[in-house]
Amino acid sequence: MNAIELHHVTKHFPGFTLQDLSLAVPSGTICGLVGENGAGKSTTIRLLMGALRPDGGQCTVLGTDAASPEFLSVKEDIGVVLDEAYFPESLNALQVGAVMARTYRRWDGKQYQTYLARFGLPEKKQFKDFSRGMKMKLAIAVALSHSPRLLVLDEATSGLDPIVRDEVLEIFNEFTREEDHSILLSSHILSDLEKLCDYIAFLHQGRLLFCDEKDRLLEEYAIFVGTADQADSLQEGAVVARESSGFGGVRCLVKRALVPAGWELERPTVEDIVLFLVKGAKQQ
Amino acid sequence: MSALLLKDYYVIFRQMRIFLLLILVFSCIPGTFYSTFAVVYASMLPYTALAYDERSKWDQLAAMMPYSARDVVLSKYVFGWISVAIAAVGTFVLQTILSFVWLSDVTGPSIPVILLSVCVAVCILDITLPLMFRFGVEKGRLLMFFIIFLVCASAGGIATIEQSSLDGGFYLSFSLVPAVIAAAVLTAVSIPLAIRLYGRRSR
Repeated sequence: MNAIELHHVTKHFPGFTLQDLSLAVPSGTICGLVGENGAGKSTTIRLLMGALRPDGGQCTVLGTDAASPEFLSVKEDIGVVLDEAYFPESLNALQVGAVMARTYRRWDGKQYQTYLARFGLPEKKQFKDFSRGMKMKLAIAVALSHSPRLLVLDEATSGLDPIVRDEVLEIFNEFTREEDHSILLSSHILSDLEKLCDYIAFLHQGRLLFCDEKDRLLEEYAIFVGTADQADSLQEGAVVARESSGFGGVRCLVKRALVPAGWELERPTVEDIVLFLVKGAKQQ
Repeated sequence: MSALLLKDYYVIFRQMRIFLLLILVFSCIPGTFYSTFAVVYASMLPYTALAYDERSKWDQLAAMMPYSARDVVLSKYVFGWISVAIAAVGTFVLQTILSFVWLSDVTGPSIPVILLSVCVAVCILDITLPLMFRFGVEKGRLLMFFIIFLVCASAGGIATIEQSSLDGGFYLSFSLVPAVIAAAVLTAVSIPLAIRLYGRRSR
């Protein structure tokens, strides 16, 4: 079963269109949603949470159409962290907990207290006096404290210092140890996605360029560093994108299968692949 | 919906302590205008709660949580009704105490006047809340002036009706029945309209 399925989803805004988006996040996996600012990541998340209605296509989350009235009860199973924690400024962590206890039927107050302590969050300090990192930690604590089966995280790790970010990533990893737990995570921090994700979906200007298993991507692509002549000698389609490295040298993202055996290739990172693909898309 | 009411209570109580004190002071001042003003003015508290929601972008987070459009809209109406009811009861109790203890020469609170104020406050909520849900508080600044005008005009109007009724209470009784009917009808129309307008935000 897929935790998230988007079928040919289209949404028009003045100046931006999310076009024919189809992707599936299998249950029990972590999918990273990558893209530049304005690529459509937040729109995708709002669509699959039923906060926006698609102009065309269908969003199904945990087996229920996000546009259906039944989806309201499915939201009990989804923990969401948006790019900023939008809690009322005058509330403190205890009051947020009290409100959430009346919001989610499976709210676990003890679990929430444990996360507050683990993240070092003050209970009675007003939310407006929290740092950005503290705000995000509070949002993560809330998202994890009602026994969700799916986490939808929109830039959830931005603003966190590296130590806390690492701890939060470990918590997300722990979360998916349950067989039916899944995560959709949009992030600009590609190293986080590389560390965490099983699947990578890449949005560019409202279009899905790919959605593939991370390991398969890392196997499919490679980095070639050599001369421009060497790169030009490769068969058509082998070089996905290239950048000049000075003095006639080039650094290219290549399809490993189309490069002759014996050529020295480097293993790319997810960041390499994404940056080259964006470059390639712009060159086209 | 109880979660949203609790959230509004936390927000308003912390932010609006001075405002709440003002309502109490108004309700203590003898005279129809001030006591009416306190009750009618309490109907503005949901707009304050909406303004704080908008400032913190709470709506974006609420759209991700298991709150229906009906819950969100109805919570603001209920919050308004509770605020008006507390102001009405507070006005009645405080004016009763004042008339018995300190100002024995002043007549006590008039229940019909307070009831009329409650009806007018409910009507103001019914007229303005759908527009606030459609345009938001930021865009609806002009509407706020309209609401303030409605509040002041209503308080003045009720005071005038009460003055004219001193001889036998005819105008007051005459006004109360249509006011109750208007409040009921407007509420029945306003809530579904507000839910529909709020739902348009997701399109």
